[in-house]
Amino acid sequence: MTISDIAVYAGCVILVFGAAFSLIASIGVLRLPDLLTRMHAASKAGAVGGGLVLLAVALLCFDAGIALRAIIGIVFLLLTTPVAAHLLARANYHVTDQTPVNKAVAQLNSKRSPDSQK
Amino acid sequence: MTPADALSLATFIALIMLALALLLSTVRIIIGPTLADRVLALDLMTVVAMGFVGTAAIRTGLMLYLDIAIALALLGFVATIALARYILSRVTSEGPQ
Amino acid sequence: MTVAVIVLMLALLWAAITGNFSGLNLLLGATIGALAVSLLRTAFAPPRALRKIRQFLSLTLLFFYELAVSAVRVAIVVLTPNLRSALRPKVVAFPLSVKSDAEITLLANLITLTPGTLSIDVSADRSILYVHVLNAQSPEAVIAEIAGGFEAKVRELYA
Repeated sequence: MTISDIAVYAGCVILVFGAAFSLIASIGVLRLPDLLTRMHAASKAGAVGGGLVLLAVALLCFDAGIALRAIIGIVFLLLTTPVAAHLLARANYHVTDQTPVNKAVAQLNSKRSPDSQK
Repeated sequence: MTPADALSLATFIALIMLALALLLSTVRIIIGPTLADRVLALDLMTVVAMGFVGTAAIRTGLMLYLDIAIALALLGFVATIALARYILSRVTSEGPQ
Repeated sequence: MTVAVIVLMLALLWAAITGNFSGLNLLLGATIGALAVSLLRTAFAPPRALRKIRQFLSLTLLFFYELAVSAVRVAIVVLTPNLRSALRPKVVAFPLSVKSDAEITLLANLITLTPGTLSIDVSADRSILYVHVLNAQSPEAVIAEIAGGFEAKVRELYA
């Protein structure tokens, strides 16, 4: 078994894992009860799934230039996914009722107040 | 199992799973109660489609597909940002619902 | 002359000697160059720059580890038959101790891709980051975990 054979087998395993994570992300988006929990599935499992598929492409193409492009694609994906999720969560938080956030802030402030009174 | 067999089997399994993922996110786009849900599902759909095209690149050996995959990821990001801003602007112009 | 220029020159030299300017070969040259520079760091690099590189690498490693853990954990939650028992969603207000835009951006992005947390918004005065938690034990535990993990590393990197 040569090095390139090992790379092919590793690429196959990574590819199947990447596809599985993409599938899990979309199952999550379908099953989870509200937007914010769905966002967890889409941003984490989705980014990992897409990233693993690109990593498999990088491993299986046997061309340095293309592998480099795929890796730049992974970096790009990891940079943009959280930004997109954050913007969407923020937009949704401004649209819908803000009680959970306000409750969390009140909780934080009530915990802080003993310190500030010192 | 030779490397070529393993590759063809793995890409086949991956394509089936990714196709299922596309289908499931389409269901969420159709039923999604709010606009934000639909935008989220659409964002996931572009990432899955990117994976699909990437897998197609491996299966066919045409690395031209990789450029398409990266362009898809770029486009999905820009679309999500534009739609998020649209959700925000819809509120500020109409007042909170 | 900075370390980066030295490493770049060593990489180009490596490519020229081996007669192959492909990306992978340049990368190999840069790696060997960086290794050589780090061995001779007293002559070239001020120790501060090297420490920054090490801190950056340690943050990157932590990030990839947490990313893998978070994807697996989300997968487990998604595939649980009884969703209600696995989910305890909650919004936690995290008091920020990092102040600059770059630090907050980096921290928010890191939080989004790590286990069970998703950053929603930063308050107008930049003192609070709202974090959505998928499976919350207690707000204190979440705050302590972020403050001791990523926030400390981000602050170290920008210090």
